Parts: sequence; structure tokens; C-alpha cells
Amino acid sequence: MTRNSFFKILILALIIATLGVLSIYSSTYQKEGTQWQDIYKRQMLWLIIGLACFFFMSRFNYRKLWDANYFIYGAALFFLLLVFSLGVIRLGAQRWLKIAWFNFQPSEFAKLAIIIFLARYFSRKSIDDTSLLSGKFGIFQGIILPFIFVAIPMFLIIEQPDLGSGLMLMLVFVGLLYLTNVRLKYIFILLLALILPLPFFWHFLHDYQKQRLLVFLNPNIDPLGAGYTVIQSRIAIGSGGFLGRGWLCGSQSQLYFLPESHTDFIFATFSEQWGFLGSSLLILMYYLIIRQGFIIAQRTGDSFGRLLAYGISLLLTLQVFINIAMNMGLAPVVGLPLPMMSYGGSSILVTFIALGILVNIDRTRNVF
Amino acid sequence: MERKSILNLIIIFMFASLIIGLLNLGILQGSKFRRLSDSNCIRLISQSGSRGNILDRNGDIIVDNKISYDVMVLSQDLNHIDQALTLISRILGVEVKELRMAFKKNFISSSVPVTVATNIELKDAISLGEYKIEQPSIIVASKPLRHYPYGALASHVIGYLNEIDRWRLTKLEDYGYKTKDIVGFGGVEEKYDYYLRQEEGGLSVEVNHRGKFMRVLGFQPPRNGKDVVLTLDLKIQKIVEENLSGKKGSVILMDPFSGEILALASYPNFNPAVFVNKRTKLIWGLFNDPDAPLINRAIGSSYPPASVFKIVVASAGLELKKINPSTRFVCQGSIMVGARKFSCWDVHGSQDIFQAIAHSCDVFFYKTGLLSGAQNIHDYALKLGLGRNAGFDLAGETSGFIPSPLWRKINKFQNWFDGDTANLSIGQGDCLVSPLQATNMLAVFANRGYLLSPYIVKAVGGLDLSVKKKRLTGVPFKKSTFEVIAKGLAKVVSDAKGTGNVLSTLPIKVAGKTGTAQVSRGATHAWFVGFFPLDKPRYAICVFLENGGSGHAASVMAKQIIEAMNNQGLI
Repeated sequence: MTRNSFFKILILALIIATLGVLSIYSSTYQKEGTQWQDIYKRQMLWLIIGLACFFFMSRFNYRKLWDANYFIYGAALFFLLLVFSLGVIRLGAQRWLKIAWFNFQPSEFAKLAIIIFLARYFSRKSIDDTSLLSGKFGIFQGIILPFIFVAIPMFLIIEQPDLGSGLMLMLVFVGLLYLTNVRLKYIFILLLALILPLPFFWHFLHDYQKQRLLVFLNPNIDPLGAGYTVIQSRIAIGSGGFLGRGWLCGSQSQLYFLPESHTDFIFATFSEQWGFLGSSLLILMYYLIIRQGFIIAQRTGDSFGRLLAYGISLLLTLQVFINIAMNMGLAPVVGLPLPMMSYGGSSILVTFIALGILVNIDRTRNVF
Repeated sequence: MERKSILNLIIIFMFASLIIGLLNLGILQGSKFRRLSDSNCIRLISQSGSRGNILDRNGDIIVDNKISYDVMVLSQDLNHIDQALTLISRILGVEVKELRMAFKKNFISSSVPVTVATNIELKDAISLGEYKIEQPSIIVASKPLRHYPYGALASHVIGYLNEIDRWRLTKLEDYGYKTKDIVGFGGVEEKYDYYLRQEEGGLSVEVNHRGKFMRVLGFQPPRNGKDVVLTLDLKIQKIVEENLSGKKGSVILMDPFSGEILALASYPNFNPAVFVNKRTKLIWGLFNDPDAPLINRAIGSSYPPASVFKIVVASAGLELKKINPSTRFVCQGSIMVGARKFSCWDVHGSQDIFQAIAHSCDVFFYKTGLLSGAQNIHDYALKLGLGRNAGFDLAGETSGFIPSPLWRKINKFQNWFDGDTANLSIGQGDCLVSPLQATNMLAVFANRGYLLSPYIVKAVGGLDLSVKKKRLTGVPFKKSTFEVIAKGLAKVVSDAKGTGNVLSTLPIKVAGKTGTAQVSRGATHAWFVGFFPLDKPRYAICVFLENGGSGHAASVMAKQIIEAMNNQGLI
């Protein structure tokens, strides 16, 4: 069983990551300049580092995360604050820390840190006691306190500004609350408290964020500005047809009509070249990986491990879903990468670390 | 159901919806998006032909085109645009910020090159062209622009160019005009726009992501507009405008046998170049000037003809045999018509028709007019081309107005009195005549018998139109009538007391008639209409000065014009 989930996840992740490298290569090989030519090599390097992390985490007892929990949470907050003062501004957002030769994106790590923190918060130290604390929690302990802990890093992320990651964290939080048997009543109260002031928050959004949300409702209001990416991405996906135009043959991504074709919109790049068939297989593979995550969570007795597995699976689910939906114009454009495919060291590392933790949870379960 | 199974269902639903979305885009709408994708990498580079030139009767250029160079940037990649703009700014010496603003302002779509700088100098265009290999996204396009070598010369005849307005667009849409087209306004530019205008051509090319040219998909060569040759004589036009400059009014010179307009000037005028350069402030000034410089006063405005109208009254009297060359009336400075006293501007004593025309005696024409009758005067005025359009080439011609008892009855419900007839006999009252009509009337006496239809366009695109344009309408007057009036007109100048005596010092014999029109407000209008040389007329002339004083002022200007023409050997 252990071997089983380990290999399933490893092989699926490797296939997806390889397709990602191919897509990155195809979207950048026409561009001139070594920084573009080498981008797929860098992604491969990240992939190797990511795999190393994956193997390391799959051997590393996840229970140690329980003890390191506060340290991890504190470190995530520290890096997020550091981004504010020292961050590199790229594409109008301050999301990156420049460390040595690479750019490091703390918000990616913060997502994982928050999941570890929440799993720790809702579970008991004893391995034998499988029941969750949260069933007995009142509204303060069950909702308000964890919400405050989530809200601080979330606020920092939204201020970067990275509305997508921030809102996704909120969704992961709500999902975990749901799975930890917190009373539905409380969850509804939280949702109401979040949704009711939304019209008020509209004024606090940046202009480009408002524009993106309006464009999501109708991309044609601004075909050359904010709506441009969505329109081009839909054209890319649609022009792929059933079988696609073939590798290195799509004009949308090859001739650089599609912006961000190697990062957030890599799904469109992929879909143009591999068509409906390739894209649905890709979506299926993502589903299988996520399904593995949920299966692992369900068969894990340890409440901390179970919540951690659920959290990681939820994080993956939401990232994949929101990214692909925004590629197809079904969700507003937010700066979320597609896990394992999009170019970006931080995203690759965090995803593989998370998968490693997932595998380790399954492995450790059998040891006990 | 357990919470985890509900979550499982939600996740399955989410992934299923992704597949459905994919199905919709890739399969159901696939062909549409494939088409859109193909059109994405196609670029249209337009090439414009040049608008037809406008030439004078000798083939000298009045309006032509000069090549102007525009810099355009064609690229999707923001980095490349920045590089390109930096390069352009270095060569042109313009700040990058300005170029970036121009880029933002002129951006239409990624498939159309964006103009960032217009009308750059030739040497800059050449040095930019040398970067073609390094910076393929920079395009230097040559575009012909309207060029006016003589500035405001003949501006009313030519008209100006501007962006098409809504009214013209609805009218001309069926002829292939589009919004943002540059079309002619006023003058030849408007009337012959269809022939003058060029046809846009262009290339459709496939490009790669850097906007680098891959291959030509199609080419349509641009077509130049047709040249229009006018009947104007540039030399005469220059003389006329030099003399008229600074005085409100108009001058027309016409060939009295063919109807060709040799010079047509109206002042205040305008420089059509301001519309090419889009000098908004100056354009606004033109439209709001109370002196209306855009109005062509020679054809578009009508004025009381005053004594010029006496020619009509004399023709009517002679033709209807109410008077004959030996008829004499005594001018005692005034005459009683009914209970009202109508005065003459002087006391002339006994006058025959020759003297009456020469001295412009009002009393003689009051009596002649009363004998002939108002309706007859009206009819004869129309026979001489007044009160109706002459069918001129240019837009904005006015028909003027000649009142009659019948008109008064029908439109004003008023009776016509003898006093009105007396008023009409000296060209006052409701009577209105445009300078062009006055010129045309004089031409009938210069050519002794033909009413012309004046025209200004001689040929279009090499096709001679003068045969079609030259329309002669016989005026069924007795030969003696023409001779008598022509003799009278000659005496205006030659008689020592003639109102146009100032012209007698010229080496060329001139015949003509002065006029001083009373207006309700301001100084009188000054008229001089005539033809010369007397024995073999080659030119009919009309000088009209709005609020320019007495007819003497107009005569002086006519003299100056004729003198200058003679000095240049044009007569």
C-alpha cells in the first residue's frame, strides 16, 4: 500500500511536470535572449531540487511538523513581512524576495505553513486519540481564533497585492473547518461575516483588481487591456480543437500573443498544442493525484496527519481548479500558478514538499 | 451523508465542469477560435496613394502633395516597444515619455502599427530606416500630405481638407466613404472629392511574435487621385489677391465668351494648411470669426446691385420700346413718384440713355423703370441671369433675388406700388445679386448676345470637360440694344463726368458700370462690373467691396488690377 501511493503520486507528478517543461520550452524557444532560452533548463533544475525535497519529505516524519508548527508559522510571517520591505516588484506586485540567483515567493510557502498550523490547531497531540477537538469547540475557539491566525498572513498576502492567493487561503480555511466537524452553524456565520461586507471592500481593491473582476464578467469591455489575456487564452484553448496543433506549432503561444504563456497561462499553451484530448487527460491526471490525497487522508487515523492531508489536497484542488478555470475564462484572472506545470521555483518546491508530506503521512500510518 | 463524501462530490463536480468548459471551447467553438487565432498573426500595413493635384489653366500647380514621414511601431512585446521608443527618441530628439503617450493614444489593435511620431524630417527618416534589421518593429511610412505652395491663394476655390463629418458620411457612405476619411470641404476639394481622392492600398503580411515579417499574404496597390485642372490663371489670381488683400469683398475675372473663370478671389480668406497641420486653435478661430473667412463671397453672398441693375432697366426699356436712343429725360435732382420724393445723387439736367448710364442718373432710370413696369424689369433681370443659379461648379452658390409684384402678392400679401418700382429701378429694395451673377450679366454685353454658364474646372484626370461645360444661352435682344448699352458702358469710363472715369487713364479701353449700394447699417457697398479691352473683350471683371464706400473705390481697385495685368503682358 505504501509503495502504491508513493509511486502513483510520484509518477503522476513527474508526467505532469514533464509536460510542464515541454510547454515552457515551446512557449519560450522562439524568444531571443538567453534568459528566455534557458528558462526551461531552470525549470528542470527546480524540478530536480523539488524531487529531492519530495524524497526527503517522504522520509521525514511529518509528526515533527507538529513540534515545529509555531516556528514554521512565525517564519512564514517573517518572510511575508520581509517582502514588504525588501521585496522585488515585478508585474506591478511585490511578491518576490531576491535571494542569491533566484526569486523566492514567500506567499507560496505561507500557504503550506497555514495548512500545517490549522491541522495542528484542530488536532490532539496524542496519536491514539483519533477524535478531533473541534467538535467540542465553541464559536470563539472553533472559528474566531483560527480565523485571526489565518487572517494575519492572508492580509499580508492580499496587500502584496495577491488577491488570488489570499482568497484561496480563505477557501482552504473554510474547507478545513468543514472537514474538522466544526458546527455548520458557525461556518455559516463565518461565511456571512465574510460575504456581507464584500461591497464595502470593493473600494479597497486596487483599480486593476476591480478591472479584472469586471472583465471577468465581460472580457469585451476592455479587449486590449485587462480583457486581453482572457481573450487570447480562450482563443489559444479553442484553436487547439480536438487533437491540438501539435507541439511547437500553436501560433497563440509561439508568436507571443498570449502573455504569461509559461507561468499562469501555461494551461492555454498546453491546450493549444495538445487539444481537447491532451487537456482532458491532463485534468484527469490532476484529479487522480488529488484523489490520492483524499484517499490518504481518509485512511489516516492520526487526526493531525488526516487534517494535513486534507489541507494539502484542498490546496492542490483549488489551485488547479482556479487556474484552469481562469485560463478558460470561467474565473477572474488572479495570479495563481498551475501546480507542477507553471514556471516558478517557489511553486514547484512547495508543491513537491507538500506531495512529499502527503506520501509520508501514508507511509507513517502503516508504521504505527 | 458524511462531510467528506459531500466534499468528494464537490471536487468531482469541479473537475467535470472543467472538462465541460474545455469541450465548449475546443470542440463546440473550436473553428471560431481557430479563425481568430489565424487572424491574430496577420498584420495590415496600409499604404496611401496621393490625392489628386489641382492645377491652373497652364498646368501650374496650385495645390499638390508632399511626402511626410511617419514613424510607426509594430510589436506586441512591451520590452521591444520600450527599446524601439528609446531608439526613436534618440534619433528624433523627442522625449521617450512623449512617444509613450503617443503610443498609448494611437493604439488601435495589436494587428495595426501604432503611429508614434508624424511628419518627421527626411534625414531622421533615413537614419531610422537604417535600423530596419536590428529593430524590425519600427516602420517608417511615407504618407502624402496636402501641400499648399501659395498658402491662402485661391483658398475659396480650392476649399480645405478635414475629417469627414456625420452629415457628409451619411450622404456618401454608399460611395465607399468611411469614418475618419479625409475629405474636401468647400470649393473644388469638396465638389470633385470623388475624383481627387486616392484609394488606400496596403499589404497584409504574416508576422511572428516580434512583429518580424514572415511572408506577404496579399497586396493591393494604392491608387492616386485624379488631377483637376482649373480654368484659373495663376498669374491673374495672384494680381487679384494682392490687390484685394485687406479689404472685405471679392473679385471675379471671367472669359466673356466661354464662361471660364480666370480669377476668383474672396477676402477675408484662410490658409487651408491649418487643417492639414491640425492647428486646432487656428481652425477654431476660422469658424468663429465674425467676418466669416470660410464663406466664398464671390458666389455665396448676394448684395443689393444698386446702379449695376440699371443695365437691366435699360435693356427692358429699350427692348419694350419704352425708350429709344434719342429719348431724353430731364434730371432736376429728384422726382415725385406718387406722394414720395425720389432723389438723384446729383442734378444732371437733360440726359439721353448714354449719358444716363455714364453718369448713373437715377431720375432717368426711375422714369424708364416706371414706363417698363416692375414685372417686366423682373423678367428681363432673369433673362440676364439674375435671380437664379448660374449652375456654377462650386458648392455654395446663391441664387440672389429679384422681387416682383406677383411675388410680393403671394408671399407678403402686400400690394406693389410705383415707389417699389422706382426703388427696384436703381437696384435697391429687396433686390439681391451675387458678384458672379453680375459678372455673368456683363459678359452678355461683352459678347453681344449670349448668357454663359460660368465654370472653373477645365479637366479632370486628363479628360477635357470644357466642351461639356461651355453652355451658351442666346439672349433674344435686338442687336441695337446690346450696342446702345455697350456704348453707354464705354462712356462710363471715357466720359469726363463718367462714374468710372478713373479707369480712362489706362492704356486699355475699359467699359463698365459702377454701383454704390445703400445698406441698412454701415458704409455702402462698392461695385464695379465691366469688360475689357473694349473692342475685343477678353475679360469680364467684377470688383465688389463689402462696406467699401462708393463705386469709385471699386473702380480704383479694378484699375489697379487691370494695370498690373497689362504690365505683366496678360492682355
